[in-house]
Amino acid sequence: MKSKRSIAFCFAAGLLLVAIPISAHHGTSGYDMEKVITLNGTVTSFNWSNPHCLIHIDVKDSKGDMKDWILELAAPTLMTRNGWTKDSLKPGDEVVAETHPAKNGATTGLSGASTSLLKFVVNGHALPFH
Amino acid sequence: MLCYTTRLLIILAAASVFSSVSHAQTVAPTPSAKEQAAPKVARLPDFSGSWAVVGGSPSWDPSDPRGAKPDELPMTPWALERFKAARPPFGAKATFEAVNDPVQKYCDPPGITRLYAYPWQFALIQAPGVVYMLYEFTGLWRPIWLDREHPKSPDSTWMGDSIGRYEGDTLVVDTIGLNDKTWIDQVGHPHSDALHLIERLRRVDQDTLEVTVTFDDPKAYTKPFTGQRVFKRSSSPMEVTLCSLSEMQSFDDEVMKSTTVIPKK
Repeated sequence: MKSKRSIAFCFAAGLLLVAIPISAHHGTSGYDMEKVITLNGTVTSFNWSNPHCLIHIDVKDSKGDMKDWILELAAPTLMTRNGWTKDSLKPGDEVVAETHPAKNGATTGLSGASTSLLKFVVNGHALPFH
Repeated sequence: MLCYTTRLLIILAAASVFSSVSHAQTVAPTPSAKEQAAPKVARLPDFSGSWAVVGGSPSWDPSDPRGAKPDELPMTPWALERFKAARPPFGAKATFEAVNDPVQKYCDPPGITRLYAYPWQFALIQAPGVVYMLYEFTGLWRPIWLDREHPKSPDSTWMGDSIGRYEGDTLVVDTIGLNDKTWIDQVGHPHSDALHLIERLRRVDQDTLEVTVTFDDPKAYTKPFTGQRVFKRSSSPMEVTLCSLSEMQSFDDEVMKSTTVIPKK
């Protein structure tokens, strides 16, 4: 049986016609804001700090190789206003996370900023998002 | 120089004194002359609370608030040269590569008008003779003096010299004495140390604050222009988000650089 961890990297959501209006202090030009992908993986770290909270997730790619994905969120102050806390994620959590991937193919994505967040499901429970 | 915490305590103490005076006015049977002046203060427009931007347009260009047409503002050759050299995070020239945004690269103060573009809140504390504006982003604050004129030859500083007056339901803020190290917006429009700002703050309704800013900078722009932002009252308490250069550099190494190089296969 496939474990949750072995469920691979998938581009389930595909292309979205309307991008969620999220931004960051550095803008969004490095990310494909027209595209949302869904990642299934395991949290290896959650860095609750400025200028942006960062999540590292182990995700298997289509070849079965494990990749370290970095998902960028808003600053802690703004994430708190979205209902998150420093304890919202911890290493070992199984997550299903949406993200706008980097344009250059790097395993980096923008998943939220300011008042908008993409979908996060942690151990079967959805985290707050607007 | 007083540290940030000490300065904030002074501000809050001033606000506390103001609040106490107002409270005393309601309970004292024989008000003093000072307390008799309080009702005049009470009739002033109330900007209390914290305010968060709606939309967050990156440019002050009234015809192009998204900054998609970067040459719309009437720039002088002096300003155009600087604008062309800017590599901003937003607008038509948005980039992740070799960004020279002074906030992103150096944690420089963003400047008064750019502070209105961030998603962080600001608050106003109205005290006798002065209004304080407190900004969550980088913990900045500035006084707006209601009881004096500008100095004849003010220093050029990051926050400038602000004086204000109430015109009916509007607080009119006049600022000069700004240095030329900041951008006026998120898309890299410059300004000179001759910039003269007029901000007009007006509450449209209980929970909506409208801020209209006129930029008059003959060294950088061939004619004045005016832009507008709308803010909503926030139920979230004010916090402080500092800009740490070490954190910015760490983020740059971990995230920004990985999205600006071709990854190894």
